[in-house]
Amino acid sequence: MIPQEIAKTIIDPKAYADGKRVDDAFSYLRKEMPFAQAQPEGFDPFWVVTKHADILEVERQNDLFHNGDRATTLTPIDVDKKVRELMGGSPHLVRSLVQMDNPDHFNYRRLTQSWFMPQNLRKLEARIREIARGFIDRMADMGGSCDFARDVSFLYPLHVIMEVLGVPESDEPRMLKLTQELFGSADPDLNRSGAEVKDADAALAQIGATVGEFIEYFNAMTEDRRANPRDDLASVIANGKIEDKPLGHLEAMSYYIIAATAGHDTTSNTTAGGLWALAENPAEFRKLKENPALIPSYLEESIRWVTPVKHFMRTATADAEVHGQRIAKGDWMMLSYPSGNRDEDVFADPFVFKADRSPNKHVAFGYGAHVCLGQHLGRMEMRILWEELLPRLQSVELAGQPKRMDANFVCGPKSVPISYRMN
Amino acid sequence: MAEAFRKWQCATCGFIYDEAEGWPDDGIAPGTRWADVPEDWVCPDCGTPKEDFDMVEI
Repeated sequence: MIPQEIAKTIIDPKAYADGKRVDDAFSYLRKEMPFAQAQPEGFDPFWVVTKHADILEVERQNDLFHNGDRATTLTPIDVDKKVRELMGGSPHLVRSLVQMDNPDHFNYRRLTQSWFMPQNLRKLEARIREIARGFIDRMADMGGSCDFARDVSFLYPLHVIMEVLGVPESDEPRMLKLTQELFGSADPDLNRSGAEVKDADAALAQIGATVGEFIEYFNAMTEDRRANPRDDLASVIANGKIEDKPLGHLEAMSYYIIAATAGHDTTSNTTAGGLWALAENPAEFRKLKENPALIPSYLEESIRWVTPVKHFMRTATADAEVHGQRIAKGDWMMLSYPSGNRDEDVFADPFVFKADRSPNKHVAFGYGAHVCLGQHLGRMEMRILWEELLPRLQSVELAGQPKRMDANFVCGPKSVPISYRMN
Repeated sequence: MAEAFRKWQCATCGFIYDEAEGWPDDGIAPGTRWADVPEDWVCPDCGTPKEDFDMVEI
């Protein structure tokens, strides 16, 4: 069993905000206990999967290791109990692709799969470039200092995905706030109550209210798109059919919610963290300035470096063996993506940011049937932003201490103060 | 004249196998035709089996 101190650290939102504390805990685990069980106080026991190869091994076998049988993210026993009471026995408040297994996962993913493929996304390239230029012009007008997270990286991917989804620009601040409430539910700077969360009732009340507000919003959108379909993702979801029937209500709402949250927050985190890394590593910034052909590898390194999705849980559907350990049917497993992306067996100098790192086979998008559906859109948005920003950015340095949000699921920097020169 | 190289796309994640480039990371030399890629080869990005790739027009 993993020592309590380490088990407490790897679930602690503040350890992820600190960065080093969680990195140290996973470095210890990869070396000493790469595949072992943890049982922090208040949680059911779970296996902690820290090695890159083991994460691939588990994710590849998506029928043996299910997403939806138990909570898909680290959930304390008391919160899990309350969710099940509320949801008629289900451990999930929403039911998106993340909470589904086959055959539903296959059918629901197929509904939008082709939309997210590079061939289809190409038609968005010119418009996304225009949006990126708008944000870069604004950054240039800010007089050489800004909070890159708040002023640029939170807003640019938000604007892209909301336009794609069909949410009007006037509603973007509300969508950003709801997203931050959901993913930042443990962070008093971002959560709904603006205070530390003391117990399961408070945690669930906040998240439930946020999800409720999303559902209210997207109910209205569904009605509108059924009456007046447009060329947007909301119309695909509102009018989509699974085996000749409309999507279930919870499933449709969850589809919107995942697009409206994970569809921008992960890209925002990576963009903010990528710039933070350049500001801290002037040699890497110069390398990139001198050779823009490195933008794709810099992007991959930013994604590895930030790894905005910190974990997902899996549940064994049968007795199995991974890393020489016997897993029993029903066992719960935590896939730690930041740990996989710092695995010394896969990455040379894993704690060094290298804009030209190659190869860079990170697992930040996951692997297997549940691999991130939006990965091509995210990469495209970031590529375009850097293609437009780098030629204009003459210098950049930190103008204060950046801060990460308190969260153990989806998170990254919430503030990256910089000073810069632009042309 | 030799048949032009073609591209194949993973139906799960969108990874593209380009016959002209092969996939040297897995020992598949540039110029390897799709038919000659080993049957047990899987998508490097998501692990989807070869049989679930689709043809992509270039």
